[in-house]
Amino acid sequence: MGKIREFDFEYFIGPAHPGVTGNMSYHIWAEGDTILKIEPNLGYLHRGFEKLVEQRHWIKNFPLILRICVPEPDVNEVLLAMAVEELNEIDVPERAQYIRIIVLELARLAAYLFYFGGVAGAIGLYTIPQWTIGDRDYILDLFEELTGGRVYHIYQTIGGVRRDTPEGFEERVLKVLDYLEERLKDYDKLFFEHPLFLKRTKGIGIVDKDTALRFSVTGPNLRAAGVNYDVRKQEPYLIYDRFDFDVPDIYRDGDVYSRAMQRRLEFAESIRIIRQAIDKMPGGAVNIKIRNPFEYRVRAGSTYVKLESSKGEYGFYVVSDGGVLPYRLHVRGPSFSHGLQLVRHIAEGTNIADISMILFSLDVCPPDAER
Amino acid sequence: MTVEETIKKDIETTFGELVRVEIERKHRVRAYTPRNMVLPMLAYLKQRGFHQFTLLTCVDWIKDGKFELVYNLYSLNYNVHVLISTKINRDKATMPTAINVYEMAFDYEREIHEMFGVEFEGHPRLDEFLLEDWKGIPPMRKDFDTRKYVEEKYGMKDLTKELFTRKEQPYRGPGSNG
Amino acid sequence: MQKGRCVMGMNLKFFDALKFLVRKPHTVRVPYEKKEPAKRYRGIHVNDWEKCIGCGNCAKICTCQAIEMVEIPTLTPKMGATNLRPQVDYGRCSFCGQCVDVCPTGSLKLSTEYEIISSDINDFKFIPNLNRDSGPGTGWESDIESSLLDFKRVEMPERDPKERKKDFDWVLKGFSEEEAVFEAVRCLGCALCVQGCPTGMYIPEYINAIFNKDYEKSVEWMFINNPLPEVCGTICTHRCEDACVYHNRGQAVQIRYLKGFAAGKVDDYEKVVGISKKKADKKVALIGAGPASLSCAFYLRREGVDAVIYEAQKVAGGMLKLGIPRYRLPDSILSKEIDFIKKQGVEIKFGIRVGVDVTFEQLLKMYDAVFIGTGYHVGSRMGIPGDEGEGVFDAATLLRDVNLGKEVKIGKKVLVIGGGDVAMDATRTALRLGAEEVILSYRRRYVDMPASDEEKHEAEAEGVKFMTQTLPVEIVRDKNGRITKVKYVETEMVHEEGARRPKPVPKMDNVMEWEIDTVIMAIGQKPDWSFLPDEWKNKIKFDRRMNHIIVNDDMMTDVEGVFAGGDIVNPRADAISAIADGRKAALGIIKYLEIRK
Repeated sequence: MGKIREFDFEYFIGPAHPGVTGNMSYHIWAEGDTILKIEPNLGYLHRGFEKLVEQRHWIKNFPLILRICVPEPDVNEVLLAMAVEELNEIDVPERAQYIRIIVLELARLAAYLFYFGGVAGAIGLYTIPQWTIGDRDYILDLFEELTGGRVYHIYQTIGGVRRDTPEGFEERVLKVLDYLEERLKDYDKLFFEHPLFLKRTKGIGIVDKDTALRFSVTGPNLRAAGVNYDVRKQEPYLIYDRFDFDVPDIYRDGDVYSRAMQRRLEFAESIRIIRQAIDKMPGGAVNIKIRNPFEYRVRAGSTYVKLESSKGEYGFYVVSDGGVLPYRLHVRGPSFSHGLQLVRHIAEGTNIADISMILFSLDVCPPDAER
Repeated sequence: MTVEETIKKDIETTFGELVRVEIERKHRVRAYTPRNMVLPMLAYLKQRGFHQFTLLTCVDWIKDGKFELVYNLYSLNYNVHVLISTKINRDKATMPTAINVYEMAFDYEREIHEMFGVEFEGHPRLDEFLLEDWKGIPPMRKDFDTRKYVEEKYGMKDLTKELFTRKEQPYRGPGSNG
Repeated sequence: MQKGRCVMGMNLKFFDALKFLVRKPHTVRVPYEKKEPAKRYRGIHVNDWEKCIGCGNCAKICTCQAIEMVEIPTLTPKMGATNLRPQVDYGRCSFCGQCVDVCPTGSLKLSTEYEIISSDINDFKFIPNLNRDSGPGTGWESDIESSLLDFKRVEMPERDPKERKKDFDWVLKGFSEEEAVFEAVRCLGCALCVQGCPTGMYIPEYINAIFNKDYEKSVEWMFINNPLPEVCGTICTHRCEDACVYHNRGQAVQIRYLKGFAAGKVDDYEKVVGISKKKADKKVALIGAGPASLSCAFYLRREGVDAVIYEAQKVAGGMLKLGIPRYRLPDSILSKEIDFIKKQGVEIKFGIRVGVDVTFEQLLKMYDAVFIGTGYHVGSRMGIPGDEGEGVFDAATLLRDVNLGKEVKIGKKVLVIGGGDVAMDATRTALRLGAEEVILSYRRRYVDMPASDEEKHEAEAEGVKFMTQTLPVEIVRDKNGRITKVKYVETEMVHEEGARRPKPVPKMDNVMEWEIDTVIMAIGQKPDWSFLPDEWKNKIKFDRRMNHIIVNDDMMTDVEGVFAGGDIVNPRADAISAIADGRKAALGIIKYLEIRK
């Protein structure tokens, strides 16, 4: 860390800044254009979810817990359901599992579209956000049809999902997937092969393999550093072991470019998974009866459940004392690793113009760091 | 022998009877550890290849007067999470910091210090993390009454309270024991 | 930068870009098209006030506390409902729809309407009704399958009909602990069932205690207003279950059998309830040892008042013992609870008929107050040709004789006339006495039968043949006076203007016959006022037909110090009403004697 002198500049990125999804600020000390030191400043989004959860019945937490994260709320719901199901040893109906996969992967697509727009916006290519956010709306339309909500779906419940798919839903999903695949070609031309994009992102914000492992980096960020790690493969939750998909392992440089391209390739893999899920989806019930929402109890014990979100490994550490309320719920958001200690380390010495792009390329989402 | 069993055996042979190790399920090993053994354990596991400091969390067991600190480590090679549980006294809770072993513990310890009031000995910066100008007891402790806080701070009332307490009958009948 | 690419930094080739000229934009359509929300969209609440029962479960489940129950003074609630209606605060509502999923009646729904535009903050908080409904099939609707509630109850295990009709043993097997707890979970604790219970038992409280497997606590709650919990837990008419919120769309919680289960789990009530050591130095006489008197005596003793019951028969229990067959209420249950009441210090004088062995006036002189709980013991007859003589029984007498262990001879082909619970008891008792064929004749339709559904189903399962809309007109006897046939006609349901229910009108032109050798008439019972001297019949106020005594809120008749309760007072004529009357009378007597200050 360079020594900070009196006449060095101090900047604040955020709390409202296009480089950060959500309200969070970074305090920057810079010498000229070079960053000497960066210090994350949290607290703008702290809503105390972990405390609120402790005062609500298990079932009442589903509308609450997903509000942690806007771009991809479903992971929270699914994790809470998974934790309860694991502690109570509930068998989830097959059809519900498939619907969950579809929901999770659609959410990943939506989150990646958000991400593409964000990175492009941070570079200054403002057409791409307009395209991707617009295309994301088609996925939100699907969610609206399936779950009744566009952004916050509140669709999961203990032992399944709340409603069966509406009639003709599968065909409409396939239609949107076809459209997105077609659009991906446009994105490639407009963005991923764009010379400006290549120039701005290659070799910038490098998180190499060692750094990534040292700072507990997970998800696409880790894969872009050349470590082939995906929770869906390593510890297949739900029924991910039944699907044929690859974890792309082409880009290994750990720079902004690799991270964006990694997500670009995974986008196509998610589409593959959804197609398979729709193809294989069996009939039957989609949920189980919990009999009384106010008296639903979870066996005493604790568990750590995790899944692969669009940002990385998302985990819940859930403790139950056998009562109607959760005893403790700790949300392990990937941004807690990516946005704090890692940024302190890698941002040092980078150019001030690149910092918002680096932050966005790491997909730092303050809400899941602060809860 | 599965990976989990190997890890269990290795921890048991290294730390002896001080540590109780359980295999919770596939991919999850839990080690119940006394307070003074946590740092050696972290150091040992780091050297064994547990590179990922997944999380550090705290559970307030108010009835027992204990805090339970849970360190969650992960190794890509073994594909196993080791959860190290240790119970420390609730009043004047202290714990040696783990940042010298895992620097990722830096912000987790700041958070737990702020939310539960656990002092991490040797931590260089236990300052404000998420809260601002917090005067009361640490808010994630079980004895922090959120309802009272909300009523005092925002003047909001609990709407459900009155509705669901049944009105007592004027005379509850001679059969009642009270 | 490579050549051939757009100068503006756009990476698209020229022809690629061309296709966007004709593409529809994602966002704002020109000309403007309103985006229709999806069918399942969760918007503003809609509440059907006709269906809503104001149980408050929506307010209870709301994560955001957006729902508040507001009293609507203009509504007059029906049984099992309140005049509360949910008011939603859209500053808090998160449109999760869990209120819809927990709604027991399905009155609540989220419509696809989502626009509330106002500059007044108060407009965002209102009591939803049907005004903003987007029509059926749209919005987040409640249905039984996806509801958070389970509308299916745990059925009470019964013995096989073929086996059970051979003896007088209990037909029910009773819940196992697992089943009981599994069923007790369903109780939402909304306490609307209490409205249905004549004595207002603490139902949610005792069911919750059962769920926690704390049966003693449960029994403690029961004894507050019912000294015969296990009896009620076996044979009660369970009006509470009709008032249960689940009853609107599915099966109510098994309140009755859960009560019986918990009471059966506690062998010694004394440990739980204790024996009152109070002394009040007052004496009360009670006529008849039925549920009304037992309940009254129990609560009098709890306050230290001496209670003496005069019973004409040799056994206690009244209709519980003499009217209800043993296969429905085993002796062990009845005697357990009566013994406990006796243990409280209640004295029962058996075999003393008031009016014969001791006069009513004597009782009035000897005691500080008198409670009349004589009940309905005289069975009615139809008065058709041939109904006098051998082979014709009235159900009350028949059941009493069977229960007292007297030998009763009936034939092989039995006709039971009537459609109430007593008629069902008569048919099934006849089967157990050896009848091979039992026909039940009822003049109205099957649905009009006053008997409870499970009694009807149980009787049918045991092989009783239901002949509804039939009316016997003559009992035919042979030379020796034995019954050979019963002539009957069919009836037709005619709905008259202003009538509450359709009236059966016999079609007299077509007379048919059954081959029958025994007839049991279960067409109603009457009180027996013979113990009252004539002058007292004038003093005490009766209703028009001399069927019921008219009492005030304390169960006191027009004569000071004379109280009454049970079947002779209220037309509901069931055990739980009698128990409620008895308890109310006990409180009234205590007030009258002024010992509670």
